[in-house]
Amino acid sequence: MTTGRARPSRAARGGYRAGRTSPAWIAAFCLPALVLYGLFVVVPLGTAFYYGLFRWEGIRPAEFAGLGNYGEVLTRYPLNEEIPAALWHNVLFFAGTMAVQNTVGLGLAVLLYRNPRGKRFFQTVFSLPYLISPLIVGYIWSLLLSPTFGPINFMLRAVGLDSWARPWLGDPDTALPVLILVNAWQWIGGPMLIFLAALGGIPRELEEAAAMDGASPSRAFWSVRFPLLMPAVGVITVLTFIGCFNLFDLVYALGGSDGGPGGAMDVLGLLYYRTAFEGGTNAIGESSALAIMIFILVFGASLVLERFLRRREVTP
Amino acid sequence: MYLTRRGLIAAAGVLVMTLPACAPSAPGGQTGSEQVTLDVWGWRQEDVAAYRKIFKLYEDAHPGVKVKYVPYKADEYDTILRTGLSDANGPDVAQLRSYGLLQPLVAAKSLVPLDGQVQELAGFPEPVLDGARGESDKQVYGVPFAIQTLHVIYNKGLFDKHGLAPPKTWDEMTTAFGKLKAAGLVPLATTVTDTWMLPIQQEIFGATTYGGHDYLTKMLAGQAKFTDRPWVDSLARWKSTSEYWPEQYEGVSYVDAQALFTSGKAAAFPGGVWELAAFGKSNPELELGIFNVPPPPGAAAERTLVPGYVDGSFGVSAKSPDQKAAVDLVRWMASPEFGRAFATELRQISAVPGVRPEDPLLAQALAAYQADPSPYVTYAYFSGGTPTAWDLASEAFSTFVAGRSGAGDAAKHIQQGVDQWFKPSQ
Repeated sequence: MTTGRARPSRAARGGYRAGRTSPAWIAAFCLPALVLYGLFVVVPLGTAFYYGLFRWEGIRPAEFAGLGNYGEVLTRYPLNEEIPAALWHNVLFFAGTMAVQNTVGLGLAVLLYRNPRGKRFFQTVFSLPYLISPLIVGYIWSLLLSPTFGPINFMLRAVGLDSWARPWLGDPDTALPVLILVNAWQWIGGPMLIFLAALGGIPRELEEAAAMDGASPSRAFWSVRFPLLMPAVGVITVLTFIGCFNLFDLVYALGGSDGGPGGAMDVLGLLYYRTAFEGGTNAIGESSALAIMIFILVFGASLVLERFLRRREVTP
Repeated sequence: MYLTRRGLIAAAGVLVMTLPACAPSAPGGQTGSEQVTLDVWGWRQEDVAAYRKIFKLYEDAHPGVKVKYVPYKADEYDTILRTGLSDANGPDVAQLRSYGLLQPLVAAKSLVPLDGQVQELAGFPEPVLDGARGESDKQVYGVPFAIQTLHVIYNKGLFDKHGLAPPKTWDEMTTAFGKLKAAGLVPLATTVTDTWMLPIQQEIFGATTYGGHDYLTKMLAGQAKFTDRPWVDSLARWKSTSEYWPEQYEGVSYVDAQALFTSGKAAAFPGGVWELAAFGKSNPELELGIFNVPPPPGAAAERTLVPGYVDGSFGVSAKSPDQKAAVDLVRWMASPEFGRAFATELRQISAVPGVRPEDPLLAQALAAYQADPSPYVTYAYFSGGTPTAWDLASEAFSTFVAGRSGAGDAAKHIQQGVDQWFKPSQ
């Protein structure tokens, strides 16, 4: 900034003006990212689409099948029933995560914003689980929740709450809520940090003006601060949505590839895994078709969600 | 433009330097005109030392041939092998899964059919060869290496302490379990969350109810179904033992169940014979015994049946540059010399006919299986199409034992899935 202000003449000569930047420079800066994106995103996506058009015999494409694999995946029992069930579990998981992780994350952010004492410490503590792989988190929690050796049920029994001690991950009623809570435990630091940064960016004068106009603290929050947090809410919602629909490692560690008791935690990621790695002779064709369908669903819904949230943004 | 050109040159330089790293190496094996190295791929990382000893016998008898066992992680092995078999740099000989899991490799023509090439296979019983057969062409693609049998493994010390012996009748068995439960023990350490164990438990407790091989023959001919009475009853019979399972069994994992048994909190563990080595390792003090479940009243079978199946086989890669040497090696794997070494070093039941395990429990398991064999129906015989009966059974049983569906519903789930591809033999 200082340098830019000190030498206005150089900018005026046009050396670094955006309009005149040489295309070669732009290409040089974009190329590495573009190559990586192309190699690891576009090429696999194109390959999956291409593979999905063939019937496979092991690792050998046998014949062109057109949309046959898509039809097979959507009609074959029990896949035809597992896809909507898994999709519904993803939706519930998203709703639960929004309700628990992001709401509590916002609450923690507001608390830390209002009480800066120990802010650094708590920021670190709440963000620590970020450093652990979801697979490890899953295995640790499955040990904690084990009905035979797990300390959680042991403690519940020790304080006389025997009826509360449940087979948490083995009961179809509790498995999905437990999954949502464990996931929130791991990622709650993310929304908290984003909200904290967004809160710091809201001009104090706005709140002071609201207070002078007689607004209560909660009214000031909902009418002044929250609308200004909408860009952060939007970013977090879209990120949560994508994370929730790409869920795999945590649920795999907690419930295995079948998705827990009676498939109560079965999600699209597990369904893809089973089709691809536990499928039969045509596993490549069918799993590629399924992957493309999941991609279209997640990508399309993300776009709609983003549009919807953008419309609700306000600027100070 | 100067920068772009320089960037391009740099990028080309990096590419030139990295390309050789990606280039395929010389085909594995031929290091000299006579020296041949055969790579044997497998999924048993814990068995490397044992295989080194076993293959040393072959190397000593065949100068000029080196055999190397290359293990991969068990849960990644199938994917790695599918790719490996498509290339000359892959394995020469590969450890193959049995039944349905073998079929994608057969369909991809990745393996050499062994009929006519390995005469020793003629001495193997047909049900054993079924584990290594292609569903589409009925050819044998591997030399079976191990037979796994399913039993109730029990803690002899605890049984003795409570004055109990291996039961001869169903009632004797439930009385014994009741006594153990009253003494504050878990009679049966079962798992529910690891669903792959559920079809195993169903065979252990249900085989006599549906009738084993006799019922399977009818099923394969299209004269009996999963949804028919005997098979549905076998599910109900298995679940009737749930009063002897651990508290809150719905949430008990495979590892939990193993720990319950090896720590002496549980008196018995229904599972495969492969558990014996692991149990012995985690608690060397444990004195183990095995028994099979006697027929309950109204069972189709009158004798106690012993379920078993082929664990896997060794096959030859169609892309191996040393195919002849590889076929020679698998031919040796069908010999009693290999069978004995395998049984001794790995403490498993060799699939080679006539080889008796030295371990008394394994010998007991094999003798019992040979006297009254029973099939592992969902894993071995309805696994040639998608979805396999085993996948369907794992899902359906999970819902069934959680109390969310009945035995009839679980059977219907399997039948409906299998009906989409299964054609009865004429």
